[in-house]
Amino acid sequence: MKLIILLVLSSLINTQIAAQNENLLSVNSIPLELKIKSNAVVRFDDVHIEISDFDRFVYTNTRIITVFNKEGDYKLGAYQHYDENINIQALEARIYNSFGKEIKKFRKNDFKDVSAVPGGTLYSDSRVKYLDYTPINYPYTLVFETQVIYNSTAFIPGWKPIEGYYTSTEKATYKITNTSGIPIKIKTSNFEDYPIKEISDNHYQAENLSSIVPEAFSPNFDSYAPMLKVALTEFEMEGVKGVNNTWEDFGLWMNNSLISDTQELPPTVKTTIKQLTKNANSDVEKAKIVYEFMQNKTRYISVQVGIGGWKPMNAEDVDRLAYGDCKALTNYTQALLKEVGVPSYYTIIYGDDKLIDIDKDFSATQGNHAILCIPNNDEYIWLECTSKTNPFGYNANFTDDRDALIITPEGGRIVRTKMYSASENTQKIDADLVLDENGTISGAIQIQSRGSQYGEHEGLQNRTVKEQELYYKNDFWSDLNNLEIQKMNFTNNKDSIVFIEDVEVEISKYGSKAGNRLLFQPNVFNKITVTPPRYKTRKLPFVIERGYTKEETYQITFSNALSIEAMKEPVSIQNKFGSYSLNISITNNIITYKRELVLNKGSYSNEDYQEFRDFCLSIKKHDNSKIVFISKT
Amino acid sequence: MKYVFLFALVLTLQITVAQDYKFGKISKEELEEKQHQLEPNANAAILYSSQKISFNFEQDKGFVQYNEIHQRIKIYNKEGYEYATKKVRLYDESSDTKDALTGFKAYTYNLVEGDIDDTKLSKDGIFEEKTSSYWRQTKFTMPNIKDGSIIEFRYTIVSPRLAIEDIPFQELIPINKIDFRVETPEYFRYSTLLNSKASYYPKLNESQYYKNVSFSYRKLPEPGMRGTSKSELVSFKRDVQFNVVESNSVNIPSLVDEIYVDNLSNYQARLIMELSSIQYPDTPYENLSTTWEVVTKTIYESSYFGDQLNKTGYFGDDLSTATAGATNPEEQIYNVFNFVKTKVKWNGIHSYYTDLGVRQAYKQGVGNVADINLILIAMLRDAGLDANPVLVSTKDNGIPVFPTRNGFNYVICAVNSGQSIILLDASKSFTSLNVLPVKVLNWRGRLVRNDGSSDWIDLSVQKASKEVISLNIKLNTDLSATGKIRNQYTDYKALEYRNSFESFSQDDLIKDIESKNGNLLVSNIEVSDMKTPVKPVQVSYEYELDDALEEIGENYYFSPLLFLKLKESPFKLQTRNYPIDLNFPTSRKYMVNILLPEGFEVESLPANEKLQYNNTEGEFTYLIKENGAMLQLVITLDLNNTLILPPNYEQFKQFFELLVNKQAEKIILRKV
Repeated sequence: MKLIILLVLSSLINTQIAAQNENLLSVNSIPLELKIKSNAVVRFDDVHIEISDFDRFVYTNTRIITVFNKEGDYKLGAYQHYDENINIQALEARIYNSFGKEIKKFRKNDFKDVSAVPGGTLYSDSRVKYLDYTPINYPYTLVFETQVIYNSTAFIPGWKPIEGYYTSTEKATYKITNTSGIPIKIKTSNFEDYPIKEISDNHYQAENLSSIVPEAFSPNFDSYAPMLKVALTEFEMEGVKGVNNTWEDFGLWMNNSLISDTQELPPTVKTTIKQLTKNANSDVEKAKIVYEFMQNKTRYISVQVGIGGWKPMNAEDVDRLAYGDCKALTNYTQALLKEVGVPSYYTIIYGDDKLIDIDKDFSATQGNHAILCIPNNDEYIWLECTSKTNPFGYNANFTDDRDALIITPEGGRIVRTKMYSASENTQKIDADLVLDENGTISGAIQIQSRGSQYGEHEGLQNRTVKEQELYYKNDFWSDLNNLEIQKMNFTNNKDSIVFIEDVEVEISKYGSKAGNRLLFQPNVFNKITVTPPRYKTRKLPFVIERGYTKEETYQITFSNALSIEAMKEPVSIQNKFGSYSLNISITNNIITYKRELVLNKGSYSNEDYQEFRDFCLSIKKHDNSKIVFISKT
Repeated sequence: MKYVFLFALVLTLQITVAQDYKFGKISKEELEEKQHQLEPNANAAILYSSQKISFNFEQDKGFVQYNEIHQRIKIYNKEGYEYATKKVRLYDESSDTKDALTGFKAYTYNLVEGDIDDTKLSKDGIFEEKTSSYWRQTKFTMPNIKDGSIIEFRYTIVSPRLAIEDIPFQELIPINKIDFRVETPEYFRYSTLLNSKASYYPKLNESQYYKNVSFSYRKLPEPGMRGTSKSELVSFKRDVQFNVVESNSVNIPSLVDEIYVDNLSNYQARLIMELSSIQYPDTPYENLSTTWEVVTKTIYESSYFGDQLNKTGYFGDDLSTATAGATNPEEQIYNVFNFVKTKVKWNGIHSYYTDLGVRQAYKQGVGNVADINLILIAMLRDAGLDANPVLVSTKDNGIPVFPTRNGFNYVICAVNSGQSIILLDASKSFTSLNVLPVKVLNWRGRLVRNDGSSDWIDLSVQKASKEVISLNIKLNTDLSATGKIRNQYTDYKALEYRNSFESFSQDDLIKDIESKNGNLLVSNIEVSDMKTPVKPVQVSYEYELDDALEEIGENYYFSPLLFLKLKESPFKLQTRNYPIDLNFPTSRKYMVNILLPEGFEVESLPANEKLQYNNTEGEFTYLIKENGAMLQLVITLDLNNTLILPPNYEQFKQFFELLVNKQAEKIILRKV
């Protein structure tokens, strides 16, 4: 019986190919505008999704793609994930040379079959079949056909008619046939900016989409590229039925079906945690104790098995094993807090240094990370449970300033996480230096970092002494030749969330000699060295996702053998991107150098880019300005 | 004073040594330890490591290898938690060659209120994964890990294979004690070798003993005796000599990691045991490898190597088409080399044995390194040239110091042009005559001749790869600079350029240059011979640089290499443990012509200078001349020695710092 179905399926696919325009297999027929800045052209990509029930859909894809060069090989897309609930029925690929002549054919068993364990994960039960093809010549064309039966409908493949940077699309279609009787939800974004139309109900077609080239400081690809998301209002996640009309009932489903039965704790830990918190005066104080207890007890280990990687491991198991992934550790912390009477919400979010929102207008399985939210009067405290070192409530640089889904007993709700402002994100450098007549400087520097800057610096304390030294030499002060680190001391104040680096350095011949002059750049420790690239025409808008304030005060005592010939006038610049000021004063043989750079958070149009670049260039110029000394001897 | 300290140290060590290493016999002292006694910065330490390898005779299977591992690891802090997760690699090609993992047992120990608390690793912490068609791995992560935890595990790998995996005697964390013992039956001879580049050598003891071994096997019915299909069980006992290698070592220092190390395992203390011969009673002696001659011969005689060289029919007339028009051997070589490069593409796999075989690889246009380079050799030979394979160990395979078949993993081609020997590797697109992928430049390779005889040949590069930069600068009264730049790259410098910028469009190239200085505008870029590896790469472009002259007070300052100067020395650590390999000698030359702006004159020029490293192993010269409104500057940097040894490192570092400072020196101008 199974055999017959398979036969029918594969003959179905073959007729489809025969119906394809032969033209698509030859490189000559590609429109010129699609070749510009493209490593690959998607000639034809047809996705058909047939939903027959709340727990079943069939995904059929026929794809023709022409690859121009090595970089384009990554765009082949000739792979298919599978697991217990995803069955690959048909999988086939053919390769054609640039004239459209078939040169190689791969059947299902010719595909490589490996575990799909992502980096940083110890184990996952997902697998992938992928095409391992060594191109003989460029360009070449791939025809890829697959048919897959999904018995889990929580993740229905959406559509990205422009697949990524440097990839154009000649024709792409996407169609959903829904005979399940259950309503589906579809959300499209940015379709209006591109030649995409809906041919009939739930059937879309895109034609001649040029490639997009990445540009510095541009926002997320998905925020301006066309995208379609789809979800079923009743779905199945590996044996668990779910409801999803709104975020509210999706959250309620998560709470009832995935989380609530995983929070039982062993009696010993219940006693321990009650004992630890018995003298705490407030919920926040209790939460702090619980968070530290969890941080000390557990470590992050990622194991992805069962229920689509969405159900947390039992709190009991976390307690016994003392490890877990983000879901397990968040859930465990929540169970502990519940035990001491502090309410908290399991939270689904995109963890990324870029600001990526959960789409508040489209309830569905989204996000890639779990954190914990503690309501505290009108605000929320966010706990990153996978970190053993984070201060309580610190969430900069990974889960800050974005929409997240909190799961309350009443259902799901979208809320915004904490934003760290330019005035909170500070890096303050103070230095007391001595400059001798050979240009060598030495002295003590203190760097204080707060807010998102704290996260940029704090990791240093956990590295080996050699790595710490190399960090200063190769990263932070890579422009300082002959730098020697003589002493390092770090203070991490987790209560006020400040990281302090005390460093003593010597930089021999920092000032360069020119005849009897000595050229000295007073901004020793925080010069802007890289500026935004120039674009003939900037196409994409740009964003500064996190602002900051960087402040420097240096006292430089120079040798009596030197006298100042010339130096810089004060500078002060102010614009919508931020501000920059520089001031040098001299009393006797002490130079006081003060600099402050404020960069604001903001979203700007492509037209503003040139002005922003000019701002950065002028900062660079002022940062590099010099004092000229004359040697008296 | 120092003596007293040492004495005290020895005493404490002896106390440590008097510990119980039986599985599960953890002491409170071990759990209480806060840092390692000898390496206080260690994040974890192996308190005890025991490995026993033995061969037991089993009916229907023959000798089976048992590899018993027992380790006790102390975790001092959270940076050491990674040692609580282990991966065990198991061979898994087919059901009769499959390794089995048995006797698995693992515990975590913690000190809880002064008592030892143990947590057993249960099934939910053990994971199996098939990683390739030949291997699978068992991964496990220990429960209940805290700062100060001790983990202990043991298991046995049971393998039908006779090959013994390398035995590590050093790790990235210190090891307090190792007990190692391997017993091999007389039928199998293993050559035992310690890594000679390691800074630590374990002491090995060798001995022999006899053991009475029971043999039993099923004797198949005699051929021709149809009908009597029953096999007969044959059993007997016999004294077998076992060869033993043992080591009992204490206080093994951790292996120090460092940047710019080609392959850290080159410096790891480890024991290599390669099966060199097999001789069962009453069967012929089978020599597998003992000397490099034998190793090479064994490889040569394989049907995946030597036989492949003798096949020629598959390329038919293609050879004569490829060599048509060539008037000398060098042109012939070049044409055949180029033909093979375009005809067969590399599938990413290193090997000296062919994968598909030359015929199939040629037909399909895809092959591994051996497929491709053996085709090249066969074609060159067919064209009447003296071409031979050279067995090589790539850098990540380590330096081939021991005569084992694993000592090599790659094959290239050596061809005699009549004037010299030319090395070739047709597997990568930008290689050329005597320009090989850098991974291949690993000390020496073994050249094998048609008759199976072989010799070493030096793989190190003698000829300097050149980078010539001519820079024309016109300084303008608005303080900007304009002009034209031409760069020329030869040999390995050209290979580097081609590899880095292969897929760059003109716009991308401009962006890359402009990124060196924000005020820079680059135009009219031209790159020639990018895809003709036998020729140098030439790059030229025009530029405009704003604020090239910096006005401070009465004077104007500028750096004559503009944005082309080396901004920082790449060598920043004060000392080194391992050599730095620069791969090939280089020679860089800047020729700078500067036209001063009208109405300006020189206030001061940098002094001429010559710097040297280790006599003439490195040489830097700086020569500047004033000629009316023109300045002429020539800077050269030659690095003739490619291996910087640790004792010379400090001098080398200083040499680099001085030259970086020198080329950053400013020319000062003033208005007339």
